Amino acid sequence: MNEIPRSDSQRLSAIIIDDEAPARALIREYLSGHADIDVVAECANGFEAVKAASELKPDLLFLDIQMPKLDGFEVLELIGRDTAGVIFTTAFDEYALRAFNVHAVDYLLKPFSAERFTEAMQLARARIKRADPVPARALLQSHREGSAPDRLLIRDRSHVHVIPVDQIDFIEAQDDYVSIRAAGRSYLKEQTLGELETQLQTKGFLRIHRRYILNVSRLAKIELSEKDSRVAILKDKTELPISRSGYVKLRALL
Amino acid sequence: MHPILADRRQLGLYLIGYLPIGLVLVLGFGQRDAWGTAAIFFLPLTMIYAFIGLSAYYVCSAFPIASNYRIWRALPAHISSAATVGGLCVGIAWVWSAALQSLNLGLQPQQYMAQPWQLFVVAALLFWLAIAFHYVLIASYATQKSEKRALESGLLARDAELKALRAQLDPHFLFNSLNSISSLTGSDPAAARKMCLLLAEFLRDTLRFGGTHRIALKDEMSVVQRYLAIEQVRLGPRLAMTVEASDAALATLIPPLILQPLVENAVLHGIAHLLDGGNVSISSELDQSTLRIRVTNPVDPDRPRNRRSGFGLMLVRERLQSQYAGAAQLQVREETGEFIAEVSVPFE
Repeated sequence: MNEIPRSDSQRLSAIIIDDEAPARALIREYLSGHADIDVVAECANGFEAVKAASELKPDLLFLDIQMPKLDGFEVLELIGRDTAGVIFTTAFDEYALRAFNVHAVDYLLKPFSAERFTEAMQLARARIKRADPVPARALLQSHREGSAPDRLLIRDRSHVHVIPVDQIDFIEAQDDYVSIRAAGRSYLKEQTLGELETQLQTKGFLRIHRRYILNVSRLAKIELSEKDSRVAILKDKTELPISRSGYVKLRALL
Repeated sequence: MHPILADRRQLGLYLIGYLPIGLVLVLGFGQRDAWGTAAIFFLPLTMIYAFIGLSAYYVCSAFPIASNYRIWRALPAHISSAATVGGLCVGIAWVWSAALQSLNLGLQPQQYMAQPWQLFVVAALLFWLAIAFHYVLIASYATQKSEKRALESGLLARDAELKALRAQLDPHFLFNSLNSISSLTGSDPAAARKMCLLLAEFLRDTLRFGGTHRIALKDEMSVVQRYLAIEQVRLGPRLAMTVEASDAALATLIPPLILQPLVENAVLHGIAHLLDGGNVSISSELDQSTLRIRVTNPVDPDRPRNRRSGFGLMLVRERLQSQYAGAAQLQVREETGEFIAEVSVPFE
């Protein structure tokens, strides 16, 4: 049943990500029947996973969902562009739909059999051979859709920042990036301001300008500047421009 | 409908109760040589009166005696209804005596109508008696009804309790444990077997204690320790625990599966979200009237909150409320990376 590939077929690198040692050991054991797979790393949490995946760029991820600090979807969001194939392994069946929305190869419900695992591996090989990498943007978009996050995740090379949404002061658009200002620091994230605006609108954030989203609770006062335009003064004295339509929305809110 | 009319057996008993009243009337009004006439005149009248007396039920329902209700407010209604009944009875007696007279049986029933005031007073006073009787009747029906309701709500609470216990066992706990067993079967068969036994004992205890009213804290602790031993296989060195309880505390009786959900909460929403894990500490303290059990564990303040968190704690709180009605409590608080759940139950 295990069709061991000939030497000319490509070898695949894989990372096993699960916070439970027995669960990782099981995948390793099942993989011993698949000689074309090289396990290049085992990770016990999301941070390790993001670091290992960005450095090693594996062909395949075995990804648990419920883990400390970062869950499986957040890991994927952070490394999305470097991923070819993802096989989710979890005891929870309620994430299956979300998993296929992020173009997972397969979704294994714990406990799973060696036969079921082999099926997933065949799907993975086919997906990787076809080399149809999932466009990173599509993958990120489908994950972010319709969710109002409690925190934003930012990858800075192999380091991950987790920023609680209520710590953000404001967000500024900068070319293809946004600059997120929180707790006295700025973080760059590859995302559009419009996307963030939709995500954060129920969290007390407002687009006050073409280039700015403001955490409304940070607003100290609004001042009239010279040419009939207005300026938002934040509690930390930062000044941000307010557009005419931004002022209308802000007035309605206050 | 009148409750006595609704039940044939009760109606029979009620009518028999009027027989002595009829006999007293016969003896009171009858002459030494005419008992027969008095009996023929008064006994049927008494039976008719018995049905008229039932109308006191409606007077009583219209003027209930509640604890905050003054009886004298109902007095005008009692007096006027008694007077009406008295007048009605005199009228019926007059018709009855005329009817007997016209039958020409040689009876002289009209002698009893010589002083209609006497009949009026007797009928009115009897009606007052009927009113008093009906108040007692209504009170006893109310007691019966409330006893029945208490019994029903007790059954409902028991039902809810069983449902809550069943909902408490998280199926993902089972799936993850089975996955661990599946893994250990290949690498460490002895450990796999041990895990199977732990799981079986845990499930059996959960089912067994779930059906009982109270168990000793010692038994609950053994459920908790099995649970933690199972989770330790999954989480490895990330999960540690300390238990502190005096012998007296261990002998105290508590509702089953009150502590286990707190520990499960500590593991799932505390330890499991920490990279390096931590220690779940269980301590208990006993004074004259209360047993306090405290579960303390480190938490990640930035952990994601999903809809399942707090579910186990809510069930514990509901069960304590239904069993102790406010005398037992579950308090939780989170301070500087530490989560504390403390349950206090009256010492039994």
